[in-house]
Amino acid sequence: MREPWWITIIKAFVIINLVMVAFAYTTWLERKLLGRMQNRYGPNRAGPKGLLQPIADLVKLVRKEAFQPDSVENGFVYIIAPIISMFTALAAFSVIPFGAGWHLWHWHIDGQILNVPIALILVFALGSIGIYGFIVGGWVSDSKFSLLGSMRTCAQLVSYEVSLSLAVLGVVIMGRSLSLVDIVHRQDETIWFAAPQLVGLLVFFIAGTAETSRAPFDLPEADTELVAGYHTEYSGMRWGLFQTSEYINMITLSALTVTLFFAGWHGPWAPLGPLWFFLKLFICVSIFIWLKATLPRLRYDQLMRFGWKVLLPVATVNAVVTAALVVAFQ
Amino acid sequence: MVAASAGNILTWIVWVGAAFACLGSGIAVVTFKNPFYSALALIGNLGSLAVLYLLLSAEFVAAAQVLVYAGAVMVMFLFVIAYIGHKFETPWAGGPTWQTVGAIGAAAAIFIEVIVAIGLKAGGRLDHAPHVARSFGTPSEIGRLFLTDHLLAFEITSIVLLVAAIGGVILGAHSRRAETDARA
Repeated sequence: MREPWWITIIKAFVIINLVMVAFAYTTWLERKLLGRMQNRYGPNRAGPKGLLQPIADLVKLVRKEAFQPDSVENGFVYIIAPIISMFTALAAFSVIPFGAGWHLWHWHIDGQILNVPIALILVFALGSIGIYGFIVGGWVSDSKFSLLGSMRTCAQLVSYEVSLSLAVLGVVIMGRSLSLVDIVHRQDETIWFAAPQLVGLLVFFIAGTAETSRAPFDLPEADTELVAGYHTEYSGMRWGLFQTSEYINMITLSALTVTLFFAGWHGPWAPLGPLWFFLKLFICVSIFIWLKATLPRLRYDQLMRFGWKVLLPVATVNAVVTAALVVAFQ
Repeated sequence: MVAASAGNILTWIVWVGAAFACLGSGIAVVTFKNPFYSALALIGNLGSLAVLYLLLSAEFVAAAQVLVYAGAVMVMFLFVIAYIGHKFETPWAGGPTWQTVGAIGAAAAIFIEVIVAIGLKAGGRLDHAPHVARSFGTPSEIGRLFLTDHLLAFEITSIVLLVAAIGGVILGAHSRRAETDARA
């Protein structure tokens, strides 16, 4: 049974807002956790435990003057760049399944906004378009720091995108589908792919950290070298959009990790559905933050060498071995 | 029936939008003075082509088009153009004559194709909708075709790509060696 189109629209609206709330409280969680790991309190003034801090930040960003450098020759491109990044980051969440689907009165509601047979490729395609926001934003700002930042983004994201896609190939071979829903079902029937695809999981997670420009791969916006990288010349909510899209990319990547390797909404016991999904998502995001507090930034040559000479061969061997084993045991 | 015609109208609207975006961005690619904007227009062109593929129910090809061409390949274009910076003069102002000849030839070929299509339509030979299987355009079907009917073309393409990759490495290593020699 298919759900009516208006339910899809309502669901899309709800999910977008949930993701935005998740983003806001990821920033809070990050500042809080980083603070505790560095032996300080983190935000604790706005509301109990600093819980209203994200809202205060939002109000601040919206009220701030959004200036634009004089040397920007095309204001339209300058403004559209953060919007592109934001749009693709949010759109990628539409294919992530978070529940088995429900019956409400006499309507059927799917556990995801869209179930397309090529969901996985769709997420990657949206991600590869989102890169343009960063590159174009840095280029059109007409500042050396911005340009260097976007050049680094460009090189880093292109290098690690290859390993990222190869790392999921093992999962696709085992799940026999590119649809995220099918992959989750398959894991429920057999085994969570984190076990047989441990290598794939590690490569995926490392490459994913690089794709989202998180520490230790935060070279594109290394603040000691480049001020802020590609978003140096952005301020106010335009800067906020860039920042939002980065965090949402991280959340999407965590959701993808959960879906591909940890059976999505299925739990080891108790059919809690979406609650399992959010619990796993929370753990995954916390690991990202933990990495940021722990690891120092890589040097540029280390980054390139690691990406092409370690990660890519490992991902390739993993995909080939998985394919051979799957064929052998079929 | 109402739903079907509403779907048709929607398809028409999307088709008209994508087709004109395709033409417009194609013209923009060759008219922009700044190569960076030309590259951006080319991304738009590839994106609207992907929408046309979607309308032909080739979802996988559309996604691959966005991922590979609009995503990975065009990033390289932008990377190089942004690195060269403002030092360029409109690089294709008065390119070699063979380029002009090639462009005119290609335009003539497309023009003839359009006339043939209109002729077929007028002759009533396009009245029967082709039979399209449900599996058309799915990843598994495309994979099956690659490894059966079109295996030779598939393998030759992979060899061409391999040659290009090795060639790139050799050219890069050569220029780096020349640089160290010059420094010594």
